[in-house]
Amino acid sequence: MAEMMSTPKPQSTPKPQVAEREKQRSFNLHVNDKYYALAFLGPSLLVLGVFVFYPMLRTLYLSLFLTNNVGRPTVFVGLKNYVNLLTSSAYQASLQATAVYVIGVVVCTLVIGLLLAQMAVRKLAGIQWFRTIFSATMGVSVSVAAIFWLFIFSPSVGLFDQIGKLLHLPLVQWLTTPGPAMVAVIISTVWMNLGFTFLILFGALQMVPQPLYEASAIEGASPRYQFFHVTLPMISPTLFFTSTVTLIGAFKSFGLIDLMTAGGPNNATNLMVYQVYRDAFLNGNYGLASAESVILAVIIALFTLLQFKFLEKRVTY
Amino acid sequence: MIQTKTLKPLRYLVLILLAIVILGPFILGFWTSLLPTADIAKGALWSSHISFANYAEAVKQTAILRYLLNSFVISTLTMAAQLLFCSLGAYAFVFLSFKGRDLLFYLILATMMLPFEAEVIPNFATVRRLNLLNHYGVMVIPFLTSAFGIFMLRQAFRQIPPELKEAADVEGLNHWQFYWRVTLPYARISLFTLAAYSFLESWNQYLWPMLTTFSDKFRPVQDGLRQLQSQETFNNWGMIQASAVIVVVPTLIVLFVGQHYFKNGLNEGATK
Amino acid sequence: MTHLKGRQRLLALGGLFLVVLAVFVGWSVMSKPAAQAQGAKRTRIVFWHEMTGPAQQQLDTFVKDFNHSQHKYEVVPEFEGNYNEAVQKIINTHGTDASPAVFQSMDISTSQIHHTGYTTPVQKFIDADHYNVNQIAAGARAFYANKGTQLSMPFNTSQPVLYYNETLLKKYHITPPPVNPSYSDITRVATQLMDRSHKQVQGMTVEIYGWLFEQFMANAGVSLANHQDGHAGTPTAVNFTSPSTLTTMKWIQDNLKRGDFVNYGAGANAQNNETASFLSGRLGMFLQSSASIGQLTTGNHDQLGITYYPHPDGQKSNGVAIGGASLWISNDKSAHVQRGAWDFIKYLMTAKSQAQWQVATGYLALNQGSQKEAVLQKLYQKLPATKVPGEQLRAATPNATNSGIFLQGLIQERNLTQTAMEQIYNGSDIKKSLETAEKSMNSYIQGNNRANGY
Repeated sequence: MAEMMSTPKPQSTPKPQVAEREKQRSFNLHVNDKYYALAFLGPSLLVLGVFVFYPMLRTLYLSLFLTNNVGRPTVFVGLKNYVNLLTSSAYQASLQATAVYVIGVVVCTLVIGLLLAQMAVRKLAGIQWFRTIFSATMGVSVSVAAIFWLFIFSPSVGLFDQIGKLLHLPLVQWLTTPGPAMVAVIISTVWMNLGFTFLILFGALQMVPQPLYEASAIEGASPRYQFFHVTLPMISPTLFFTSTVTLIGAFKSFGLIDLMTAGGPNNATNLMVYQVYRDAFLNGNYGLASAESVILAVIIALFTLLQFKFLEKRVTY
Repeated sequence: MIQTKTLKPLRYLVLILLAIVILGPFILGFWTSLLPTADIAKGALWSSHISFANYAEAVKQTAILRYLLNSFVISTLTMAAQLLFCSLGAYAFVFLSFKGRDLLFYLILATMMLPFEAEVIPNFATVRRLNLLNHYGVMVIPFLTSAFGIFMLRQAFRQIPPELKEAADVEGLNHWQFYWRVTLPYARISLFTLAAYSFLESWNQYLWPMLTTFSDKFRPVQDGLRQLQSQETFNNWGMIQASAVIVVVPTLIVLFVGQHYFKNGLNEGATK
Repeated sequence: MTHLKGRQRLLALGGLFLVVLAVFVGWSVMSKPAAQAQGAKRTRIVFWHEMTGPAQQQLDTFVKDFNHSQHKYEVVPEFEGNYNEAVQKIINTHGTDASPAVFQSMDISTSQIHHTGYTTPVQKFIDADHYNVNQIAAGARAFYANKGTQLSMPFNTSQPVLYYNETLLKKYHITPPPVNPSYSDITRVATQLMDRSHKQVQGMTVEIYGWLFEQFMANAGVSLANHQDGHAGTPTAVNFTSPSTLTTMKWIQDNLKRGDFVNYGAGANAQNNETASFLSGRLGMFLQSSASIGQLTTGNHDQLGITYYPHPDGQKSNGVAIGGASLWISNDKSAHVQRGAWDFIKYLMTAKSQAQWQVATGYLALNQGSQKEAVLQKLYQKLPATKVPGEQLRAATPNATNSGIFLQGLIQERNLTQTAMEQIYNGSDIKKSLETAEKSMNSYIQGNNRANGY
């Protein structure tokens, strides 16, 4: 739900005359603006400074040190924490697991979300009910989702296990075998994401002008052709937006992992944020965990920049 | 669009299948919350003893209602603070002129790139030094404002016609008055959006409260459920599912009621 | 969410209001008893623990009884998650209002907690009160003492043991394992269980748990860390690849491959699942702390069997180390609060409390007087198997390899060995997996020793 509000909305697009207005505005400015600015912006700047800017610098600083058993930086080691991390097979595995998870989540969320939206956009009797149902997971928080799915995947009492038994399929130990555990975590995340993705894509599909479809139908285009040549291009900006939001969200995943697998089995679901948590708040290895934080921040910053670039394009249009 | 009659039942079939997939976890969670744990442990999904006993047990034996209250307090405070500070900040960027305004704005924009998850180590040290640990404040103070909120409201405030500001200047309204009487009412829809956003963002916090709360008195609901889950060595599935349902029902109610506006908004947008 | 209609907005507000109301009403109903208890002016003693299930219930009962027994202090128990989480929480909150006055911390954190300098050794109170410390089991005390100073009070003390379902074995006409079994004894029972039940019952599981890994080494008489497991000085390296460790891992891996053993994974979920399977008769044997006895006997219609921890074939068992945790007093609270914490510890260590503790949980009663308590006598009569863990403890002669490992970063060690175990269970090369873990642990130790100036 969270990122929904940042969807580019047509009404927030500034009109061309904004620059003009801006100029007019500056005529009306008063001398004492400085004090107002301090009063108006002060609180925000203080909070952002203390809890966003300073910590980033501090994390960078800590990442160059070894920390002692009460968490104080004691020995300067330069980039050694980074070198150790990038050459450690465990950390490489964590990066790889994160990549698999992120790609799995983004692809499945978009494909299923699009399917839901495409099905719900048609006018059928009772379609309102389906639209409500499809958006329902927006009201689910991470721990509730984790508990529901934990039960479904749990051995011997879980739903999948019971279905497997009924059909005499080989027993899958969902959460204790590396591959299936990753699948289980991806399924749960995708389910949790679907409500939001559905609503955004559904909104985009509704905005596609009907005449486009009618015109192509007259030309004898198949629904399939229409989907790939009318629908997809028309909603591609929204698709891009949704995918970056989902992607960044997936990189930050922690709660589901913590509740469902605690990074296991065999570190198969040990995603980047979980690794930071484990090294810092379980092992007390704050220097190393800071280096991991920096790497995580760089990756997320890159994708956010990408998203900004896109938003900028939309806004200037 | 081509709407052949033979396709219709097929469409409903697909819709129903999809609905089952989406609703499945909810239904299963709710259903098992009505079953005695002993039956669940045997692997039975049916029992002759359907009851709300698990709910009574969850309310009596766990702090689940306290967790809900904590989350509600924290989210409400965070929401109120973000509405105030983000709107003030955004106002400054639109209606005030001061040195370094643009630079400052880009700096704030840049903070949107920094994930909080990567900054928990120094932030923990900060709140520890401020002696905020295990307190509502620890979950509110770092989130008093948000770069995203400032950014969003700045966009909204820029829609305000300059004539309004000119008229206000003629009437002798100062910035406080203009902010309170004109800007806020004008941008109420964006404020509503930010309110919903910040409330849910706070409600869904997991990692930060997990690191900074140490008693049920302040633990919010997400970490409360974690607590229940890790406390239960006996796999009291019935009670855990009941707790999860207790937590999810309020948000679902809000969502279903809110759903109406959302759809109306979209429909109106679509027909215009 | 753009166009708001008045009526709908009212509806939303109404719905929200109802939810809030429900929460407030429910909360006020619930919090009444607590409000009454806080009536008198008592000093709050915040007590952090990591006990779950029946142990948590018993601990809460102790706290209630203690609070009723005097009027000066009010102990407030707080569950802080698993042992691993708690250590950093304790260190991280020290000196703030959030920190506990008395806390439970696991066996392997002893060296680390001691080195922080954040605690008042209980020796100070033992001396001040002339407390008869000899009534507490010497083996357990020694684990938490340093150079003649008692750092913390041993509390929940357990022995790792093997549990088996005696009723199931009888049903399939299988001879139970001997009281001090070798690996092949266990293999025999597991194989027979699988075969004779036509795979309805799984033979055995060894949880992916660093503690069990350490105990396999202890029982084989092998040091995990150099300098005699840290008893002779700060360790500088570990050894995960001794021949008997390799043999042990191969034993488990082979049995998993054949399907006689089953893998339930790691962590709380694994423990829940193996317990559930064992209680429902789908699992024949498993290794776990003697502290599980409480869970395994309440509501279990099957006869519970217990043996010593298994040892490698062709050698005598060296004995295993105790497990569990001890109680520490923080030094960031006033003398009055620390005194209250100590009074509470004394209350927990009485013969009566300790006997009750063992009956409820399976942790061993540490007060010598407990053995004479009626509740414990009754338990021994009803379930003779519950004597086994205590016997195992007494059967072992304490030496450097079975008295715990004095090494900081044992949490890291457990994570690493657990990762190696997981890899091995999933079929990876045993030696390679263990070598990887060993290498990471050694570099961790080097860094840690450097950072702390050892």
